[in-house]
Amino acid sequence: MNQLLSVEKLTKRFQGLVANEDVSFSVAEGEIRSVIGPNGAGKTTFISMISGHLRPTEGRIFFRGADITSLKVQQRARLGIIRKFQTPSVFLGLTARENIELAVIAAGTPRGQRQTRLDEVLNLVRMTAFADREASVLSHGQRQWLEIGLLLGAKAQLLLLDEPTAGMTAEETHATGTLIRDLTQKLRLSAIIIEHDINFIRDLQAPITVLHLGKVFCEGSFEEVSSNTHVRNIYLGNE
Amino acid sequence: MIKPSLPVAAQSHRTRFGAEAKVASAVFVCLALFPLFVSGYIVYILPQYMIFGVLAMSLALLWGVTGILSFGQAGFFAIGGYAIGLMTNGSLPFGGLFLGLIAAVLLGYLVAALIGYFLFSAGVRDAYFVLVTLALSIVVEQLSVSQSQLTGGWNGMFIMRPTIDLGFTRIELFADIPVYYVILVVVGLIYTGLYAFTRSRYGKVLTGIRENEMRLVSLGVPAALHKTAAFALSGAVAALAGALYGLHSGFVSPSIGGVLFSTEVVVWVAIAGRSSLIGALLGGIIVSSLSNYLSAITPTYWQLALGLVFMVTIAFFRGGVAGTLERFVANRRSAQP
Repeated sequence: MNQLLSVEKLTKRFQGLVANEDVSFSVAEGEIRSVIGPNGAGKTTFISMISGHLRPTEGRIFFRGADITSLKVQQRARLGIIRKFQTPSVFLGLTARENIELAVIAAGTPRGQRQTRLDEVLNLVRMTAFADREASVLSHGQRQWLEIGLLLGAKAQLLLLDEPTAGMTAEETHATGTLIRDLTQKLRLSAIIIEHDINFIRDLQAPITVLHLGKVFCEGSFEEVSSNTHVRNIYLGNE
Repeated sequence: MIKPSLPVAAQSHRTRFGAEAKVASAVFVCLALFPLFVSGYIVYILPQYMIFGVLAMSLALLWGVTGILSFGQAGFFAIGGYAIGLMTNGSLPFGGLFLGLIAAVLLGYLVAALIGYFLFSAGVRDAYFVLVTLALSIVVEQLSVSQSQLTGGWNGMFIMRPTIDLGFTRIELFADIPVYYVILVVVGLIYTGLYAFTRSRYGKVLTGIRENEMRLVSLGVPAALHKTAAFALSGAVAALAGALYGLHSGFVSPSIGGVLFSTEVVVWVAIAGRSSLIGALLGGIIVSSLSNYLSAITPTYWQLALGLVFMVTIAFFRGGVAGTLERFVANRRSAQP
């Protein structure tokens, strides 16, 4: 598999506080990676450095082999690195269709193909039935899917998903897992997923990176990580 | 498959665009028929209010569509008024009506583009941006006072009513009726152009900036550039309105560039509703004519009355009259099975 994104020794300090230290990490094309860790482990800081919302203090970020460390958010988005925020960030006053349309426009899709692309994305995130509803009346879960739709409409290659199942019912969480796996397989997209929901992480069956106090604590499959007593300890707070 | 977990009752109806086109057609037809039934002063003065309506639309484009408030619209209006004056009164070695109109639009566009570019790319927004536009109004007013050898200072500047030479025919703009129709046609063209713009992909991107700028930037859209373009277009439209005002009234003075007039524009648009261009156009026409009428019958209290209406609008009807009507219609529709 081809390497899509790799980060080398990323460190982020906020004055005295070290949010991330020496984090190295990589994602291949079509691969899903999940990042877990207790509150304050530096997960969101990590994803913000990849999306460009935060500048690393040290370290480099490469996308398809090119150094993108100094690129701005919108430039990275143009390359296909697009982030879903922790609290769903959509265009609340617009309908689901108008939301996706904006993403399709953002990707620079030619006029003649916009409608097809729009319908395709609505279908992919299973929003066709709600297309004409204003985003403000959609449920929390539906807004999360709509935002994933925004990422797809804007031609994301690497989905950065910050807690995509936050506030979802068990059923919705399960469906979201299926959706993400479908998307990465069908469209050969890659994804980095931050999550708290351990059942969701297990369902994803993706390699897991555990962050603890800003550092990579361990990496491995769900079985390896969940059988690791140190991981159990940091989650239960015994250490 | 994901099953929808919400009832479908919350469906929101989107009839806005079609409805706006219908309202706009009705408004323009009424305006076109108006001089057949009424004559006298009102036929002379109504075109001026239509021009104020264009000024209101320039703000609606910026505030209603893009979500950027400006207290600088009168500044651009005055730039347009003085530009057409200087280009038609022989004080410059070149000039003429069409060249003057082009100069007015270009000047408004460039001044706004320059201000917008530096402010938006530096991340200046909200209240700070409003303050800069406020300063712009003050600067324009001060310049038109101090550069009296060009502008006439407090005495203002007289502008000749032009004759339009279309090659095959000439329209002399001295009688009220031809002036009325020429301005009506121009206002109609400006409205149609702006309406088409708001429905284009650029217009949609501006709506996205209003709704969630951060999200749009994170999808790869250079929002600062789009905001600059919106401000520049708004400045150009306001300057065009100023040029038309100068030609129509035959006179421009420093007060049309001041903070007071800029504030009036904000009041018109807030009361009428910034969400639609036709709402803003009507707001410009109705509120400005009403306040002129009121100022004649009760010079002391009309501003107080207008201020109260403004406060009530801001407190209870955030979308203004147009927004409230729109919601009322949407509720009626969704109440029907």
